[in-house]
Formats: sequence, C-alpha cells, structure tokens
Amino acid sequence: MESIIAEGLTKRFNTIIAVDHISFRIREGEVFGLLGPNGAGKTTTIRMLSCLIKPSEGFALVGGYDIIKESNKVREIVGVLTENPSLYERLTAYENLWFFAEAYGISDTNERDGRIRELLEFFDLWGRRGDKVGTFSRGMKQKLAIARALVHRPPIIFLDEPTAGLDPESAKEIRDLIGRLSKHEKCTILLCTHRLEDAEKLCSKVMIINKGKNIAIGSLEELARLVGKPTLQIGLLSINEKITDSLKALKEVKDVFIDPQLSRLILNLDDESSTPKIVKEVVHAGGMILSVNMVYPSLEEVYLKLIREGTA
Amino acid sequence: MRLRKVMLVFKKDWLEIKRNHEVILPMIIIPLILSIGFPLVFIVGITMVPESASSMEDLENMIRNLPEHERNALSQMTPLQASIYLFTLYFLAPLFLIIPVMVSSVIAADSFAGEKERKTIEALLATPISDSELLLGKVMVSFVPSFMITVISFIAYSILVNILSFTMLGRFLFPNLLWIMLIFCLSPAMAFASICLTVIISAKVKGFREAQQISGMLLLPIIALMLGQIAGIIMLGPVIIGVLTLSIILIDYAVLSLSVRAFKREEILQKLI
Repeated sequence: MESIIAEGLTKRFNTIIAVDHISFRIREGEVFGLLGPNGAGKTTTIRMLSCLIKPSEGFALVGGYDIIKESNKVREIVGVLTENPSLYERLTAYENLWFFAEAYGISDTNERDGRIRELLEFFDLWGRRGDKVGTFSRGMKQKLAIARALVHRPPIIFLDEPTAGLDPESAKEIRDLIGRLSKHEKCTILLCTHRLEDAEKLCSKVMIINKGKNIAIGSLEELARLVGKPTLQIGLLSINEKITDSLKALKEVKDVFIDPQLSRLILNLDDESSTPKIVKEVVHAGGMILSVNMVYPSLEEVYLKLIREGTA
Repeated sequence: MRLRKVMLVFKKDWLEIKRNHEVILPMIIIPLILSIGFPLVFIVGITMVPESASSMEDLENMIRNLPEHERNALSQMTPLQASIYLFTLYFLAPLFLIIPVMVSSVIAADSFAGEKERKTIEALLATPISDSELLLGKVMVSFVPSFMITVISFIAYSILVNILSFTMLGRFLFPNLLWIMLIFCLSPAMAFASICLTVIISAKVKGFREAQQISGMLLLPIIALMLGQIAGIIMLGPVIIGVLTLSIILIDYAVLSLSVRAFKREEILQKLI
C-alpha cells in the first residue's frame, strides 16, 4: 500500500521554479531518501507535502489525504522535522513537547506525560526537561526537534536533515531509531539529507533531485546500475599469472585488475550473470577462493556522477 | 473552531511572553507613564504653580460641550479646581484608549512576526491547529493582558484621582459611568480591532519591528479624538462613548471577518522563502 503519492508536484516562487514536476510513490513502512545539493528543492518538497506551502501545480496524497483539499487531515498524521529545529527557546524541553503533544491532539494527561517522558528519556534529555531550550546545545535541540516530530506517533514522518549537528554517536542513535520506526512501527519516512551515509544505510528507495528536477529514482542498486556496471571482487589466498591469464581469456571479462595488498582480483564484467562461470574458471586455474563479492558503485559515486551529468 | 486549541495557543504564547523582557517591559512602563506618571506630573505642576492653571476662558471650548450639570458644577470651582476636574475626568480619558492599543500592539506585532524571526513558525504551522484557531489564539493573548493592564491602570489612576479630588474638592470622582463605559466598553472594543489588524499585519510582514511600525498608525484615531476634545469639537460623555462603542463593535466584527479571510498559513512561509 502506498502512503505517499506525488504526481507532477511543482512549486514556483515568482520566476524561480523550486520544484519542477516531480513524481514519486512511497510504500507504507518505506524509508525514502530525497537527495540533492543545496537549493535542489528538497525542503520545498517536504514543505508542500506537509501542507506548509501550496504546490503551484500537481497533486499529492499523503496517507490517502489530498494535500490541498484535506490539509488539516494531512497535518494530523504527519510528523515533521523542519530544516531548523523550530523550538521555542524560552520554553523548557518539557513545555515544548507539551505544546506540540496537545496541538496534535494528545489531550489525555497521563498519555501525554507518558509519551513526553518516553521520548525525553530516549533522547537522554529527561534530566534537562525543566531547562529552557535556549540553553541547549545544537545537538540537544536537534534531538528535541526529532522528539517533537514523533510526539503524536505519526504514521508518516518527514525528516529534513535529521542528523545535522549531531555527533557520530547521536547520529547513529537517530539512524537506528529511523530504522526501527520503519521496520517495527511501519512508519513511512521521507528522509531529506546531505549525508549519503544516512541514505545508504537507511533508504530502500532514493530520489536524486537537482534544480527542482528529478534526476534519478530507484533503489540503491537500480541507481548504481544507471552509472555503471558492478565489479566482481574475488579474494584469493594467492594470485598467480595462470589465474589472471585464464580470466583474461574469457569473453565475459572486460578488464582484470589486481589488488596485491588485499590479494584480490577486480573484474569488470559485461554481464553479472557470468559470475558462476568466472568463479569456476578461477578454481579450475588452481585459485584458492576466500571471498566473492559483487560490488556496486557507492551512492556517493552514483550521486556525484548523476549530479554532474545533470548540471552539464 | 475548537476552543481548547485556541486556549493552547494562548497558554503557549503567554508562557513565552512572561519570559520575554522585550515584551514585558513596555507592557509595564507604558501604562505606568500614562496612568500614573503623566497625571502626577500635571497635578503636581498645577498645584505647585497655581498660575499655570488655565483660566475659565481657556477651558471654554471643553466646557461648552459638557452636560449642564457639569457646567453648573464647574461654575462653582476656582480655575485650579476646574482645571484638575476637567483634566482628570475628561482630558486624560483618551489616554486609557491608548494604553490597551499600545500594550496589545507589542504582543500582537510579535505574534507571527516574532515566530518568523525566531524561526519557530514552521513547526507551529505544521500542526493541525486550524487557521482560525491560530489567529484567535494570537488575538486572545494580546487582548487579555492588555485589557487586564488597562483595568489595573484604571484602578491605580482612580485611587490617585480620588485622593486628589477628596483633598481639593471634598468628594471622590471615581467610579463614574463615563469611565466605567470607557474602560469596560470602548477601550476593549478599540483594542480588539487594533489587535486583529496588528496580528494580520504581523502575519504578512517579515519582522517584529516592521509589524510594530505599521501598527503604530492605529493610534492616530485616538490621538485625533484627544485633539478633538481639546479643540472642543467632541467631548467624551456616556452617550458618545456608547455610540462609539457600538460603531467599533461593528468594525471589530468586520475586521475579524477580514482577518480570518486574509490569514492564509500557506502564504506566511512562502513570503519568507
């Protein structure tokens, strides 16, 4: 079942087109990454989907609700981590969550207080609950802003740079949390990030946008295929000429490289389905195989290539 | 519209206002100056230097518009007594229309413009609090404190004037119908209209100062009323206050309807981008 459907979503600010006819679908429980350089239109897309601004063209359904005609329904089921922490600095951490819990309709005192405590304890902020947010570090504010986005247990969550300003340990905690929300609570998450590491670890599907336009969309594997074929890496106990010559003789193998430090052969193939034949040939040539890996281009390579091609 | 959500916005904003010295200080200082400082300076000045009191001829314009029983009472007084009587009962009355407008303008100008400046507006607008609930919550948090401050200022002013009038005229001047109507009818009605306009200005402009500068123009009708009294064109009496109140309630209704229609959350953020 699809949680989010966007069709031809477009946003113009006077003469500038911030988002240009983008379309995508996100399944329930999926973590969908929205990647792109600064000014690509990521935040504008999130703002349209969370009904903060109206699209100039196109439409979107969020949780089955139309973002234009049923905006208040959309707001009820969505949790948003905005670009800025967007917290009330004169209020305490507790008061901030109290306000947003009530705003999102958690009016039962026990339920509300329980949820606030659960979140503050999870983010290690319970001890600072009575302190004004203005005294918090950037990382603490970011954690509290994420807690705010989750306070009403939304089934759909929009996260704009969730690990920005966090130390590596906290960033990992957030990544683990996002993974858990997706797997166990079936939350649909739209993740907007610059950190390709986050997208690589969390997203089952990614869309790369630049200058408001959709450049590529698909799973990490599908995107990798767009920019190049995978390489076959074979770890061997030792590498000799007999092995390399026999591989070079195969028509399926385009290039053979040797990584002497790791005692590894790196092969460029035309077709990855020839892997069993190649492995058989290595064994036949007397190679003692330690590992066989099909390595796809990293998301970073894919991203940079696609962005450069898109800019050119 | 859900009253609970309106009250939620009210409570959250009030918590913030209480801790914001930039907003609290003018809310205390302006009423103190207008209700205590200004009358005290005048009264002390006029009693220490009796020659500074206006002659009956100078006050003729104001006296001409007074009801007959007031004119008779004034004819029994010395120029000094008459000056104090007219000044405390009539001349200063419009100041108590300025207090709620000025006090509320500080809060109302901060309502949305302040949230934009502090970058908290996005999370607020992302909540399912409806446009009218947000707007009314913001209007209420400006209206309630300004009304309370006006009443407190009025009580303080009444005590001050009563002490003086008992000493000089042998009777208390407060409370009286004119001032009761002024404080509890006309003043809140005027404040409400000005708050609605200021809140909507605050939603449309980028920053607090801009909103406050534009809303400052809303004081012009009150200043015109004050000058009209001095010139003898108009004199605030119960009838005029009643008519003005009814007219302004109609304006309140129109301004509120206009504000609800003009307030579009999707436009607030769009203007910041």
